[in-house]
Amino acid sequence: MSLWFALSPLLILSAGGLLLMLADAFSEKHTDLALGAFMTFASAGIFAVALWIMGGVPAEVAKLVAPWIVLDKFTLFFMATLCLGGALSSLLAGGYLPEHGLDRGEFYALMILSAIGGVLLVAAGDFLALFIGLETMSIGVYAMTSFRRTNPRSAEGGMKYYLLGSFAAAIMLYGFALMYGATGTTALAGIRDALASGSFGYARDPSRLTTVIIAMAMILVGLAFKISAVPFHMWTPDAYQGAPTPATAFMSVVVKAAAVATAMRVLLVAFGDKFSSSWGAGWPPVVAGLAVATMVVANLIAIRQENVKRMLAYSSIAHAGYLLIGLVAAWGHGDPSASRNGKAAILFYLLQYTVTQAGAFGALILCGSKGKEAVSYEDLAGLGRRNPAVALPFTLFLLSLAGIPPMSGFFGKLFIFQSAIEGGFTWLAVIGLLNSVLAAFYYLRVLVFLYMKEPQPGAVEAVPMKSGYVTAAMVLASALVLYFGLMPGRSLDMAISAAQSLM
Amino acid sequence: MSAYVPMFLLFAVAATLVAAFFLLSTYMGPRNKGEPEHNTPYECGSESSGGRHIRLSAKFYLTAILFVVFDIEGVFLYPWAVKFRSLGLAGLVEMLGFLAVLVVGLVYVWKKGALEWEK
Amino acid sequence: MNPALLTFQKLWPALAAGTVGAFVPRRSSRVERLGIALAAAACVLFVTMLWPDAVATEPASTLSNAERFPHLLSWLVFIPIVGGALMLFAPRQATKTVQWLTLGIMGAELVATLFLFKLTPTEGKYWIEESTPWIETFGIRYHIALDGFSYWLIVLTSVLTPIATYVSFGSIKTRLKDFCIAFLFLQGAMVGSLVALDLFLFYVMWELMLVPMYILIGVFGSTDRVRAAIKFFLFTMAGSMLMLAAILFVVLKYKALTGEMSWDLNDLQRLNFPLTTQRWLFWGFAIAFLIKVPMFPVHTWLPDAHTNAPTGGSIILAAVMLKLGCYGYIRFAMGLFPHAAHVYGATLAGVAVVGGILYGALCAMKQNDVKRLVAYSSVSHLGYVMLGIFSRNPASMEGAVLQMVNHGISTGALFLLVGVVYDRRHTRDLAEFGGLAKVMPWYAAVFLVVTFSSIGLPGTNGFVGEWLIMSGAVLSKGTLGQWGRSQAMGAALGVILGAVYMLTVAQKMFFGPLDNPKNRKLPDLTRREGIALAPLVVLIFVIGLFPRIFTEPMHVTIEPWIRDFNARVEVPPVELATVAPKPAAPTPTPVPAPAQGGE
Repeated sequence: MSLWFALSPLLILSAGGLLLMLADAFSEKHTDLALGAFMTFASAGIFAVALWIMGGVPAEVAKLVAPWIVLDKFTLFFMATLCLGGALSSLLAGGYLPEHGLDRGEFYALMILSAIGGVLLVAAGDFLALFIGLETMSIGVYAMTSFRRTNPRSAEGGMKYYLLGSFAAAIMLYGFALMYGATGTTALAGIRDALASGSFGYARDPSRLTTVIIAMAMILVGLAFKISAVPFHMWTPDAYQGAPTPATAFMSVVVKAAAVATAMRVLLVAFGDKFSSSWGAGWPPVVAGLAVATMVVANLIAIRQENVKRMLAYSSIAHAGYLLIGLVAAWGHGDPSASRNGKAAILFYLLQYTVTQAGAFGALILCGSKGKEAVSYEDLAGLGRRNPAVALPFTLFLLSLAGIPPMSGFFGKLFIFQSAIEGGFTWLAVIGLLNSVLAAFYYLRVLVFLYMKEPQPGAVEAVPMKSGYVTAAMVLASALVLYFGLMPGRSLDMAISAAQSLM
Repeated sequence: MSAYVPMFLLFAVAATLVAAFFLLSTYMGPRNKGEPEHNTPYECGSESSGGRHIRLSAKFYLTAILFVVFDIEGVFLYPWAVKFRSLGLAGLVEMLGFLAVLVVGLVYVWKKGALEWEK
Repeated sequence: MNPALLTFQKLWPALAAGTVGAFVPRRSSRVERLGIALAAAACVLFVTMLWPDAVATEPASTLSNAERFPHLLSWLVFIPIVGGALMLFAPRQATKTVQWLTLGIMGAELVATLFLFKLTPTEGKYWIEESTPWIETFGIRYHIALDGFSYWLIVLTSVLTPIATYVSFGSIKTRLKDFCIAFLFLQGAMVGSLVALDLFLFYVMWELMLVPMYILIGVFGSTDRVRAAIKFFLFTMAGSMLMLAAILFVVLKYKALTGEMSWDLNDLQRLNFPLTTQRWLFWGFAIAFLIKVPMFPVHTWLPDAHTNAPTGGSIILAAVMLKLGCYGYIRFAMGLFPHAAHVYGATLAGVAVVGGILYGALCAMKQNDVKRLVAYSSVSHLGYVMLGIFSRNPASMEGAVLQMVNHGISTGALFLLVGVVYDRRHTRDLAEFGGLAKVMPWYAAVFLVVTFSSIGLPGTNGFVGEWLIMSGAVLSKGTLGQWGRSQAMGAALGVILGAVYMLTVAQKMFFGPLDNPKNRKLPDLTRREGIALAPLVVLIFVIGLFPRIFTEPMHVTIEPWIRDFNARVEVPPVELATVAPKPAAPTPTPVPAPAQGGE
């Protein structure tokens, strides 16, 4: 296997992104660019899956780019997941942008270029590559957030996201620098070895210990910001609400998955040594605390939202909380079985969350009409009667988000909580489960408006938009939600196999 | 820790200097602060006119940012040129790829009309 | 004799009834005539199969149940679910088609249920079971089985769901398709929860019940429907989340001890936990089930849900869904944690008597809204069921399971009857009615019969169940301790209170002067309502007069089950969790299940 083939998903995405830029510059009509973007994501994803089926990248090929880029099954799994999310988002954009008069081709190029950053981020085995991936991804997303130029909310969201994002990136970068100062390397595996080794061990040198802990805290802050864990979540609702809906879908799906993947790599690989990952002195209690705070705060705020998009933003934060539980479980007191299952649970959760969340935003797009997004619950009133073809998939996605069997979301949560209990965190699992009840309340509220309320008398009944692209995305996402829900076996096995390759 | 002592010293000296300048100018400067002349911006002696917030054409920013982007990309050529011999053919191919990406960007900018001042 | 002739001999009453039904005069539509004929034939078939000597004439088969009826249980679970999924593609506007399709699917389910009567009860074992791997990575299996606990409840589900659906067609005019789909999914999920032995499968089915019921209440209910629906959903979900945590804990403990994962009840029952752990886990399960039952103090969702649910939803909620709480308590909470169940049994029995039977009855007495009154009577009646379960001797357990069926029939009928008068007057306030017997004689007659059944008059079904439970409670020194007798007395007091409030309702509604002018012109039962009520009235008397037909199959399971349970309680709880060795698999495949709780 040549290196070209091993890097093919990345190369396809890059070539596709550049081609789309040119196509945008040379064409007058931009609608079909969505198809191009979809095909780019799809073929990159197919190549990632093909690499997987061939048994992953052979060690001698992977060695050529190591340690900067790690081409293990973990990377391949996330490449496929990110491409799936990107493909769904580009389909959503194909319907949304023309409908809302935003029909500019740069959107697709930005999306793909940002996805390249995401892929690089999950593949990064070195802090430098990681930072490049992070910035590439973020810059594209900043631009996409403020893509609705005339809308003040969009501008505000983009600006907030940009400022806070750069700030977090700077903090993280400073953390990297300090870590380099303490250990003398930027490679993740190298840092782990340095932290673990007794001769170089920082434990003997208190000043170095301080540096390491400060660096770790700074890196953790940067990661928590990208995952949008409470209390680093402030940008999320504004950015999600202001961004055009396909961009929101992209952010909550691709960016989140990439951020969680990189958090797994950094925490479980670089800080995977005995001391940094101990309950008494390492990151696990911090992450557990973040998880609890994230779930509780996000769910409580989400209940009070009057705007569906903002509610989905808070719900996405809450889901980050469940994922953080998985991260604690993936450490699992060092128990190998619990640790493997915890990692696999995160991977499966992200895979199913990708289709569910993208589907939910797609349904929200279809509920809107020309130039006007469906924003409040009132806008959704009576859609179950007027437009059952949209309401039904919307229901599927919301039930999946709420974790009701047999939708995929239930299995995602189940495996997370199962691994948490297996790792000895029954209390975290119970908090998570009770939070699911809280969360069910606001998802049900959407169903209430879809099926049980009629629009206020005299309210303008918007004509729901129609779009082949979005419909295709809905069909794809619904099918996958049911598939992951009814037959999770195969994807779970893949997740486990990917989890085992993370080291 | 001792390695950081000079740095902390530097911090301390900087902070002291700043504080000293402020305090000194407050106490030693001329006392006639109430005059309106003191509140006008200093423009080499000539009368200032107009507000501070002038709207510049957005094209200035565009041109500036394009310059910065291509300029910085161009800087990458220097280290490459220095190491050209040791990098060999692979280095040449990679740089060609890099330049191709840059050219795509240029074509895009050109085609979008960002290089034309008057449309 | 010629087998064809034999079959004919068996089927002729049904054929005759069908023929008569088909020629019912005054019908215009051929389809409707056909439907009535089928319904009549099914009714006759049902009664003939239940007739006392019908079982005896059956020649004993040498084949096992599973060989004779392969995948019977899967058919029972998936006919409604797949039917419901296919109904999504039915034309929304063609209401008649939708109605007939729904009834057709439910009819198919009913026919499949008839095969249950052909099963040979096997003592101390599951009568029929199926097991295939589902998600192998986590050892999750599709394991379903049937025994004396679930037998009648499944029959009850298959009989009552079509009745509830059919009668709802009279009042549900809008969004009929959604209604039908919700009903079909609900039916499949209920049957699925009743047969699931794999805890995972059980949990999936258990949660699957929530959404259709939520839609039934929230979309088709009355004034305060949204709040009631959300309250119902959140109460139940909170309970089941705790159950999920407990399930996961048990499963992972099993994995830690044996090295393999299994969610199978038979495997997990081999675990023996220390008492402290058992207490926690027991409450995790018990709270979920007791919310569903519902038992004081977590019963508050029930009156709201019932008051606001549409008639059909109320019938199913009361008749079947609440029973799943009792069933789950027996099968899982008691089956997995015998010591904890034993320790808490007496206390919970006290709660069931005071908080359920008596408090429920007193609340019912103070209601003006008839439907709310019936809802509180449900709380009271399920107190009996729970008392029977906590008493844990053969008589009381059989009484409890029988009482589940009885309550399903009589309360289902009561909700149906309340729905009848609500459809006509759009009020359920007792003060609005009076002297209805003069204008609605049939209605009054049926209502009185159902009332008698509900208060347990001898000759009706209610008497048998309550009598068995109370006699069991008196005899339950081993389980309820010194309080058994006083609890039985409390239950007896509850019967009196029940008579008081139910007869008051009957008196206020049907007798006295017909003084409200709005009631002057009320029409009597329509044909639709009559058809729906007829089987229920028949069943009230069949159970009341021939209770042994019903208790016999239960006895086969319940007696050995209690023996096993007591044997498990005898074994003292351990200090650290242990797991008993797997019983040697009997040689011939397919493997019959090990005895319920037999390890």
